[in-house]
Amino acid sequence: MSAMTKSEIDPQFKFDLARRLGGDSIKRCFACGTCTASCPVSGVREDFDPRKIIHMILLGHKKQVLSSDMIWYCSLCNTCSFVCPQDVRFSEAMVVIRQMALENGYIPVSFQARWQQLERLGQQFRTEMLNSFLAERGQEQLLSPEELLRKAYAHCIGGK
Amino acid sequence: MKAVVDSKIGAVLVVGGGIAGVQASLDLANSGYFVYLVERTAAIGGVMAQLDKTFPTNDCSMCILSPKLVECGRHLNIEILTLSEVKEIAGSAGHFRVKIIRHPRYIDETKCIACGTCAEKCPKKVKDEFNAGLAVRKAAYIQYPQAVPLKYAIDPVNCIWLNKPGRCGACAKYCPTQAVDFTQSDQEVIIDVGSIVLATGCGLSVGTVFQYANSPNIVTSLEFERILSATGPSRGHLLRPSDGTPPKKIAWLQCMGSRDRTNRYCSAVCCMYAIKEAVIAKEHSVEPLDTAIFFMDMRTAGKDFDRYQRRAAHESGVRFVRSRIHNISPLEDGGLLLRYALEDGRIIAEPFDMVVLSAGLKPAGNMIDLAERLNLEVDPYGFITTGDLSPIATSRPGIYVCGASEGPKDIPQSVMEASAAACGSATLLSEVRHTISREKTYPEELDVSGDEPRVGIFVCHCGINIAGVIDVEAVRTYAGGLPSVTYIEANLFTCSQDTQEKMKNVIKEHKLNRVVIASCSPRTHEPIFQETLREAGLNKYLFELVNIRDQGSWVHRNEPEAATEKAKALIRMAVAKICQAEALPTLRMPADRSVLVVGGGVAGMVSALEVAEQGYHVHLVEKGDGLGGQARLLRRTWRGEDVQAYLASLVEAAKSHPLIKVYLQAEVKNVSGSVGNFETTIISTADGTLWKVKHGAAILATGGQAAETGEYLYGEHPRVYRWHELDGAIAGDGGMIKGAQLAVFIQCVGSRDDQRPYCSRICCTHSIQTALELKRANPGIEIYILYRDLRTYGKREDLYRRAREAGIIFLRYDREDRPQVQAVTDATGSSRLKVSVTDRLLGERLELYPDFISLATAIEPGDQKALAGLFKVPVSEDGFFIEAHVKLRPIDLATEGVFVCGLAHYPKPIEESIAQARAAAGRATSLLAKGYRDIEGAVASVNPGLCIACLTCVRLCPYHVPVINAQGKAEIDPAACQGCGICVAECPAKAISFKYLTDKQVIAGCTALLREAVS
Repeated sequence: MSAMTKSEIDPQFKFDLARRLGGDSIKRCFACGTCTASCPVSGVREDFDPRKIIHMILLGHKKQVLSSDMIWYCSLCNTCSFVCPQDVRFSEAMVVIRQMALENGYIPVSFQARWQQLERLGQQFRTEMLNSFLAERGQEQLLSPEELLRKAYAHCIGGK
Repeated sequence: MKAVVDSKIGAVLVVGGGIAGVQASLDLANSGYFVYLVERTAAIGGVMAQLDKTFPTNDCSMCILSPKLVECGRHLNIEILTLSEVKEIAGSAGHFRVKIIRHPRYIDETKCIACGTCAEKCPKKVKDEFNAGLAVRKAAYIQYPQAVPLKYAIDPVNCIWLNKPGRCGACAKYCPTQAVDFTQSDQEVIIDVGSIVLATGCGLSVGTVFQYANSPNIVTSLEFERILSATGPSRGHLLRPSDGTPPKKIAWLQCMGSRDRTNRYCSAVCCMYAIKEAVIAKEHSVEPLDTAIFFMDMRTAGKDFDRYQRRAAHESGVRFVRSRIHNISPLEDGGLLLRYALEDGRIIAEPFDMVVLSAGLKPAGNMIDLAERLNLEVDPYGFITTGDLSPIATSRPGIYVCGASEGPKDIPQSVMEASAAACGSATLLSEVRHTISREKTYPEELDVSGDEPRVGIFVCHCGINIAGVIDVEAVRTYAGGLPSVTYIEANLFTCSQDTQEKMKNVIKEHKLNRVVIASCSPRTHEPIFQETLREAGLNKYLFELVNIRDQGSWVHRNEPEAATEKAKALIRMAVAKICQAEALPTLRMPADRSVLVVGGGVAGMVSALEVAEQGYHVHLVEKGDGLGGQARLLRRTWRGEDVQAYLASLVEAAKSHPLIKVYLQAEVKNVSGSVGNFETTIISTADGTLWKVKHGAAILATGGQAAETGEYLYGEHPRVYRWHELDGAIAGDGGMIKGAQLAVFIQCVGSRDDQRPYCSRICCTHSIQTALELKRANPGIEIYILYRDLRTYGKREDLYRRAREAGIIFLRYDREDRPQVQAVTDATGSSRLKVSVTDRLLGERLELYPDFISLATAIEPGDQKALAGLFKVPVSEDGFFIEAHVKLRPIDLATEGVFVCGLAHYPKPIEESIAQARAAAGRATSLLAKGYRDIEGAVASVNPGLCIACLTCVRLCPYHVPVINAQGKAEIDPAACQGCGICVAECPAKAISFKYLTDKQVIAGCTALLREAVS
C-alpha cells in the first residue's frame, strides 16, 4: 500500500462515530490486542484484525474503513467487548460503522437491500430453528419475527 | 468518647505494620517520640515479608527486612499492638484520642516461648494466608518463622475449642508454659497521641481472569513469590502446583487487575516484579527455563529499572512479548495454552507449563472502612487522597499517609514516604519531642579483660538459605570442639527476636565473654547482634560475624561439602581471632543540630523548612541568584495544582524563616568533619566571601536540569521545542496554539538511549498533560504522541485514558526505528516540518506535517561530582547520587549524616520531590534529635612514636581524614575515620593500627586457618 498522507485522513471520523449510539467507546482503545487475540473470526481469517480496524478509525482512515470488506466480517459475537480491558465495544461500533458505510454510499444500493434482507432473514431463521426445537418437545411455538415485534410494541405502549 | 483539646502529645499512632509502618515507627521512635504501632494481623512485616527477592538488587526480602522488624520489636519507644484495629478517633492535630480494639491472641504473649508445640498438637489444618493459600498451617500458628513478635496465635475462626468448647484443647494441654488462654476476649484500649501515620498497605486484585479459580497452574504473582521462597510451600524449589514437576515454560501476564475497567490505574510495581520473578525463576530452575513476560507498556520508570530490564532480556534471556492476554485454555497435561496477537496482527497460540498473573495492587481490605471512621477523603478506588503539592498529608490535619495506602507503589517509594510521614508528625509535634519517649540504657559493661576467653557460637540455618547447602549440624559439632568454645547452638534463624532474647540469657548464664555468629552479612545484621551483646553487658567489639551464607552457601551452591568445610574453616579463624580481641570504648560526642542544605529548588527549600520548623538552624546554599530551581519551568502538577503560586509561597517562607540562612550565588568549597560535627566552607561565587559553618547533617538537593538535544531538528527549526519551552510558548502566546492544526510530541528524546540509558520518568505524564491542555485551548487541533512505552504509572494512567478519549493519537515507535523529522518546502515556498514514522499496527509509513513539535527531552543531573567528592558519597554512572541501600535506605547516602532528595537522586515529578525532601529532613532531624553521637571504636589510630610523616596515609585515605599535626606526626580523627583500614595496610612504618583488626588478631586467624589445613 502506498504511503498514507494527511490528505486521505479525516480526523473527524472518530468523533463522528463517537457521537452516535454505540460508537462512543472506541476512543478508549489503547491497542493492547486482546480483541484480536480472542476474536473467533480472526481465528479463521487472519486478515481480520479488530485492533487494526479500531486503529484505522482513530487515525481517521474513513474512506479505507468504510469501503473495506472487513467491516462486514464481524459476527457481532461480542467476545471482544467482553474481554476488552478498556470497555471498548467493538461490535456495537461495527454496527454503527456499517450504518455509516451504507449512509455514505460506500455500499452498492443492491447490496444494501440484500443486507437488510439478510438481517431480517437471520431473525426468521433463528425463530424457525427455535420453533422446530420446541416442536420436538411438544411445546408452544414462538411467533414469527413480525408478530414478535408487533407484540413487543403493543406491550411497550401498554396495549394487549 | 469525648473530644480532647489541650496541649500536644509527644506520641504517634502508626497504623499498619508493613515496611512503611515499620520505617515510620523507627524514624519517629529514634527522633524522640513514643510510637504505638497497630497491626491487624498477629505479626508485623506486611507484604514485604512474603516476598522472595526484591528488585533491582535481588536482595533476599526477608533478610533485609528482618533487622528492621527486630529493631522495631525491641525498641524502647515502640509499643506493637498486634491483632488490633483502630475503631474511633476524636480530637485534632496535636492531640487525638484513639480507641483501639485488641482482638484476643488466645495465647499469653508474656508466657509464649515460641516452641511450636501448640501448632504441632493442633489437629485443625487451614489454608496458610502467609503462603498465599498454597500451604496449610494449623489453627494455632505463627505467621512466619522470623515473625515479630515471635508469639503463636490461635485463629478463632478455625479453632475447634473456640467454636465448640470442650471438644479439643490439645494446645492448652501440651503447652509447656500454660500460655494458652481461651478466656481472652476483645480489649478496648484508649491511647492519646499527637499525630497519626496511616500505612495500611495493599491487597491484590487479579481482575477477571476466571480460569484462575479452576487451574492450579495459574498463580498470582504473590503465590509465585511464595513458591520461590525458601520458607514457601515447596521450600524454594520451583515446582508446578498441580503435579509438583519442575516447569519448563512460564508466562507472566501483566496488568491483571490493573489498567482495566475496574482498577483503571496502573499498578506501578508489576513490570519490575515480573521481571525479577522471571530472572529468579531462571536461577532457581535446574533445567533450562523459558520465561516470557506479556506486557502492553514496559513501565520500568524507576532508578536503574531500565538497566534491570535490559539485563533480564539480554543476559538472563527473559522474553518480552508486547501483547495483552485474555485467552488461557487448560491443556490435558496441566499446561495452559495462551493465544495472543502480535503488533503486526499475527496470532500465536503457545503452550506454557505455568502462568503467573501479575496482580494489581489495591487498597487493603479494611482501608475504606478505616477511612470512613477517620473521616478521610479517598479516591474512587479507596486509596487515601493527598494533594500533589502536599503529598503525605491527608484531608485531615495531623493525619499522614505513606506507602500503598495512597496508591500503588514499590518498597523504596513506600520507605521514602514513611520517612516523610514521620517527618510530618515530628514537625507537628516538635515542641513535645522527648516528653514521652524514653532513652535506652544498657547494663554496665562487664570488664572481661584478662579473663580467659569463653566463646559462644551461634550457627544459623537461615531457613534453607544456609542449611540447604551447608551441613549445619556438622559445622555445629565441629565448632563445639574448638579451643575456648564453651557454648554452641544452631538456630533456624539466629536473627529472630526470640533467638536474640535467648542469646542474652545464654551470654549471662554461660558467662560468655566472646560471641561468634556464623550467619549472613555484617552489612545487614552486625548492628542487631552487637546490640544484643550490649544488652547482655558485653562490649560490642567482642563479637565476630562469619558470613557462611553470601560467602558460603550462596556462592558454593553446587559444592555442599566444600562449602561445609569452608564454613568450618571460617569459624575456626573467627574463634582464634576473637580470642585476641579487646573491648573498645564507644565515645559519646555532642552533635551539632543544624543542617546544611545544598540546592535552593523545591526539594532544598522544603527540606530546609521542615528542619527549621522542627527548631533547628539551616544553612541553605544555592548556586544561582534566586531560589526556585527547576520548578520555575513548571506551571501545573499533573492533577492541575498551581506550581508557581506554591513556589512563590515556598520562596517567601524560606527567605523569611528566622532559622534559615540563605546563601545565594554560593557553593560548597570544602567539607571536613563527620556526622554530628561537619564543618563546611561556603564560598560566594559573586565576591569570594567565605563562610565557615558547623552542621550535624547535610541534605544534597542539587537538582537536575532539562537536557539539551541536537535531535529532530532542535535548534535548527524554530517550531521544534523542548517540552518546557513549549510550556513557555503556550503560556506566553496563545496565538500559535490557537492557529495550529496538528502537533507532534516525540517521547524519549535523549532518554533510554546509549548516552542516558535511564527513563526520565516525568515525560509521558507531562506530554499528555500538555497535549490535553492544547486540546482544551484548541479542540480542533490534532495531536500525535510518538512513544516507546507509555509510562503513566500509578494513578497517572487516568490522564492517559482522558487523552485517548479526547482523541489524542498514540503511536508507538521502536528505538531502532525512530521517527524522522525533516524541514520541507511547501507549495507556498515556506518551510514546513515533516515527521515520518512507522505505524507498527498498520505496518506502513505515516507522514505528518505538524505546525510544531514538542520533544520530551531528558532530565539530567547537575554536575554533582565535586560535591560528591567533598562529602565522599558515590555518584552513579548516570551522574545521580547513589543511595546507601536502594531498597531500605533510599534517602541516606553512604556517608553517615548525608542525605539526598529531588532530581539529584533521580528524575521525578514535583510531588515525589516534595515527599522526598520531607523524608530527607526527617532522616536528618531523627539523627540529630538526640544531640549527641556515639563514635565507633573500630577505627585506625597512629602510634606517634613510629610515625615518620611520610604522608602515605594522607594520600591514600579515601575520606581525607589523616593530617600531619603540629608535632609533625600523622593524626587520625576517630570521629571521621570510616574504619576502612587502607592506611593501616599501607603504612610503611607500621605506625597505624586498626583496633578491631590488630595484627595479633589477623595472625591468630591465619594461623588457625593454616594449622588445620596443613595437618
